[in-house]
Amino acid sequence: MKTKFALALLAATLATGAQAQVKVEDAIKWRQSAYGAMGWSMARIKANIDGTYNKDEVIKSANVIQAIANSGMGALYVPGSDKGKGWADTRVKPALFTDGPKVGKIAGDFNAAANEMAKVAASGDVAAVKEAFGKLGGTCKACHDDYRTKQ
Amino acid sequence: MNGKKRILVWDLPTRVFHWLLVVAMVGLVVTGKIGGGLIEWHGRIGLLVLGLLVFRLVWGVAGSTYARFGQFFPTPAKIAAYLKGDWHAPGHNPLGALSVFALLAATLFQALTGLIANDDIAFVGPLYELVGRDLSNLATGWHRLAVNLLIALVVLHVAAIIFYVRVKKDDLVKPMVRGWKEVEAGESALGGGLLALIVAVMLALAAVYAASGVWLPEPPPPAAVQTPAW
Repeated sequence: MKTKFALALLAATLATGAQAQVKVEDAIKWRQSAYGAMGWSMARIKANIDGTYNKDEVIKSANVIQAIANSGMGALYVPGSDKGKGWADTRVKPALFTDGPKVGKIAGDFNAAANEMAKVAASGDVAAVKEAFGKLGGTCKACHDDYRTKQ
Repeated sequence: MNGKKRILVWDLPTRVFHWLLVVAMVGLVVTGKIGGGLIEWHGRIGLLVLGLLVFRLVWGVAGSTYARFGQFFPTPAKIAAYLKGDWHAPGHNPLGALSVFALLAATLFQALTGLIANDDIAFVGPLYELVGRDLSNLATGWHRLAVNLLIALVVLHVAAIIFYVRVKKDDLVKPMVRGWKEVEAGESALGGGLLALIVAVMLALAAVYAASGVWLPEPPPPAAVQTPAW
């Protein structure tokens, strides 16, 4: 696990240089794992907003999302990974690989929303957390709508 | 207005239903497309629409004359007569009736699939727990796809209204607002009294309650599940 994580970090750091070294299958797996971890974190924040609010839990979850958002996940979108199987078949649309600036803007919005989420989580202001959570979810949707095949 | 008389076509509950549905549909498209925090409102408005639909289905049996499905059910014979220009009566014309049933069915489909849908981010429909992920994903796919059909039906509906107002010089909007219409022949709507209204509203509320999932067993409290402290 640790090695994989270190590898992912390395891949992210050396985005361009190390690109060729990330195998398509691994890239898709790591992508899916990262989104899975963020899915857990989103569900956890929501559970805290809807139920009893635990500031620590929200901070941890928001930090996970912020860390992944700023990890340079773009490095996992290696050429040829528009198709293939990680834990399951990838649902990315080929357009993600060709819509450069548009995808960049969506990714930037997501990063900003994830940073804001972590910031307000630390403040413990539930109303602000709720709003940041809504905005963050909106940035997830922006990408899903355009670059993820419907099931 | 020679030889014309004023009759009640759309009873008040039918009109309230119609315009509430209009507002709700706009709200649903907006909240559904924007998503984010608004998805919660999408769910709430969806429940409202489900209640409205159940009300309308009951009102289609218990309501007043022109609100009843039996009165305007579009049989092939009626449609043929209408297309030949031989159909003149108050209420939904046979083609309009087709549109009504299609709109009701498509809206009901959206409401029901929405109950078990998920947005793949953090929102799930109120009855998601009953069906599990796979069926939810399937329903979500239909929900996303079928909304286009519903929007197309609404566009057709509005276009038809404009056609009637502009070309056929028959204002269909005013009666849906005020209830009455000037006609050459036909009688005012009857039935759909207070008792029928109470029954329809109660059934609608019961449906919303059932769909809201508040009756689902609470998840076990956190204390009941022990997980490692790290």
